[in-house]
Amino acid sequence: MTVTEPGTDRVALAADAADAEIVAAVEGWLQAHLPEDWQDAVARGDLAAVEAIREDPERGPAWFDLLGDSGLATPTWPVEHGGLGMPADRGAVVTETLARYRAERHQRDFVGLVLAGHTILEWGTPEQKAERLPALRRGREFWCQLFSEPGAGSDLAGLSTRAVRQDDGTWRIDGQKVWNSYAHLAGYGLLMARTDPAAPKHRGITYFLLDMRTPGVEPRPLRQMTGDAEFNETFLTDVVIPDSARIGPVNQGWSVAITTLMQERNGLSGRPAVGPGEADRLVGRAVETGAWEDPVLRDRLLEAYVEEKVLQMTTVRSFVASGDAAPTAEGSIRKLAHSVLAERLGVLGLDLEPDGGTAWDPEAGSEAADRFLAMKTYSIAGGTSEIQRNIIAERVLGLPKDPDPERHLPFNERGRS
Amino acid sequence: MVHGVDAEQRGPEFGWTDEHRALRATVRGILAERAPVARARELAEAGERHDPALWSSLARDVGLQGLALPERHGGSGGTLLDLAIAVEEMGRVLYGGPFLSTVGLAAPVLLLGDDERAAATYLPEIADGVLTAALAVDTWVEDRVAVTADGAGALTGTVPVVLDGADADLLVVAACGPDGVAPYLVEPGAAGVERTPLETLDLTRRAARIQLAVTPASPLGAPGRGWEVLAAARAAASVLLAAEQVGGMTAATELTAEYARTRRQFGRSIGSFQGVKHRLADMSVRVELAHSAAYWAAWQPLGSPAQAYGAAIARSYCGDAFLQTGLDTIQLHGGIGFTWEHDAHLYLRRARADRTLLGTPVQARAELVPAATTEGIPA
Repeated sequence: MTVTEPGTDRVALAADAADAEIVAAVEGWLQAHLPEDWQDAVARGDLAAVEAIREDPERGPAWFDLLGDSGLATPTWPVEHGGLGMPADRGAVVTETLARYRAERHQRDFVGLVLAGHTILEWGTPEQKAERLPALRRGREFWCQLFSEPGAGSDLAGLSTRAVRQDDGTWRIDGQKVWNSYAHLAGYGLLMARTDPAAPKHRGITYFLLDMRTPGVEPRPLRQMTGDAEFNETFLTDVVIPDSARIGPVNQGWSVAITTLMQERNGLSGRPAVGPGEADRLVGRAVETGAWEDPVLRDRLLEAYVEEKVLQMTTVRSFVASGDAAPTAEGSIRKLAHSVLAERLGVLGLDLEPDGGTAWDPEAGSEAADRFLAMKTYSIAGGTSEIQRNIIAERVLGLPKDPDPERHLPFNERGRS
Repeated sequence: MVHGVDAEQRGPEFGWTDEHRALRATVRGILAERAPVARARELAEAGERHDPALWSSLARDVGLQGLALPERHGGSGGTLLDLAIAVEEMGRVLYGGPFLSTVGLAAPVLLLGDDERAAATYLPEIADGVLTAALAVDTWVEDRVAVTADGAGALTGTVPVVLDGADADLLVVAACGPDGVAPYLVEPGAAGVERTPLETLDLTRRAARIQLAVTPASPLGAPGRGWEVLAAARAAASVLLAAEQVGGMTAATELTAEYARTRRQFGRSIGSFQGVKHRLADMSVRVELAHSAAYWAAWQPLGSPAQAYGAAIARSYCGDAFLQTGLDTIQLHGGIGFTWEHDAHLYLRRARADRTLLGTPVQARAELVPAATTEGIPA
């Protein structure tokens, strides 16, 4: 099978190719391009060795350049922007196949690759697309999200960071953002700011692509309950950016944000395939620790196993289905189910550990404890489970919207929280 | 193993076709007209079994009984997936006729049993709507089947609960004989058959105790393969049961959402309170996930290990989910939901009865142990 077009590094693959055809083409390309020691490490299951190559400051970026130019990093992007023009379910087969070789993009690239990528594709000017998309495709730019604020969490549209138009056409931005994963490492940020305080809150927001190196942008790491500090609060003080950083029309940033938020919800419940998952890993661990012999624990594990498979089946279905339910609500259903499952697995994981899992040798560490402490991420990040339940009840079942007395009030006349 | 229909005919997982949609609309239409929930209640209160006139017209006008039977046996050569769609619609209206017993349980045994003579005798009559059948299995644990078959093929033993067992025209009985457990065909009028109608938790379905005392019977299919056939038939029936549960859950959730939209307290519809709307959102999540489980399994090849796997997943998930839906339906209706006149209890009764019809969710999970530990998901 021809895997590359003559004279280019792009994979030749029809947008509507069948599963087997995609797998064969991607594997063929990987076998021809993936470094040999990487392939060997995958073959012998040495994930640490693969990780070392992926994180190598020379070899990692070199790989992701190659992957980006092949189109395989962005299978659902249009061909003219370096993608393969595939629908979501075809693109998922590509990503799935890459993942089997650990050749897929870093998880931490999600904000850039998925959120920024799709937002720019849908709303960007030709210049923005030309400037930003190639670097996103190759993983050369790292992105963060600057949405939430201390006073605007679930009520995101209540954000108060100001962007004021200057006489020279530039924007001056002042405010504070929070829960910004990797903002201290990011080159660019997806930013929402208030541009018309006299309009109701959803109608006075504008969306920007912020260069994080602009003077006045100051991320400060926040320590999470896990002890890690991957997210930040970000202070924006007299940050001046050109109008070319604006994406979408002035005061219509909320519509742009919906694109980003939908991508986020859709992306949070895993890849569309029925296969081994976190529950399988826990079953394996239970067999190892002997917890599997406890019939009560065993049934709890199997219950979680069933829920994981059913969620996987639902993800497969949602990639195939076209329009059974509004995409936002459908994404919310999967996100909510995933959050419930993640919590169940986090609790179970620790229950399987010897001696209750509450103490361990310092040099060994405890993956189960790390996961237990991280599990609440899922029911909060990307919209809390309570917000997802509102969305589902309102959009799927047609129940009344939650009362919001300030929804139609000019933003600057609302009560302060 | 028998793979009834190739993947070509079923298409890719969850890829609904216009034929599927048309079938759903047809079945929904006829049931809405002739078997709404009110009719299920009417029949239940009259102590009747089902509506024979509707049964004939489902066969004659729509061809439902023969939908997934081969054309050579009078069917239309469709798939289990087609049947699942029809049965989901039946689940919505709590249809109580002997469809699951005849078409879902007994027919697959005849179909998968590799006994051409028996298949040619009974399947065309099932397709024509002139024969109903019941499957009598006292336990789904192979080495605990207590009904025995002697050397001459006569059966002795008791099956405590048989769906539609009291008036089925043909009994298919699992019995332990010289070659292990196998399905046997029993004429209800044969010597030593005693059928005792039981009172049922699910008012819309009938069940009976069947006692056999040296009852003449004929073994079905090749010796030594009996349990395999029964297990594959049970997997197919589990898929249909799951689809039926999805129908019941969908209808109960819609009923509850409608009530939450229209019932007013404290000057507003109760569906505007998060205590109500969030419970309803969780109901909606369960419906969607149950749907995925039922139809993923329906899309696997008939009789395949993948279908048995999907069936166990669906039996676990849908069994628990429908029960919770039944409870939530009553809860969100408040006092009115606790009355005899309201349909909510009919759904709860069905949900709980379904949960033990083909083995409990706990048993289903136990059956998943090989896949979860050593064997992985069957391809």
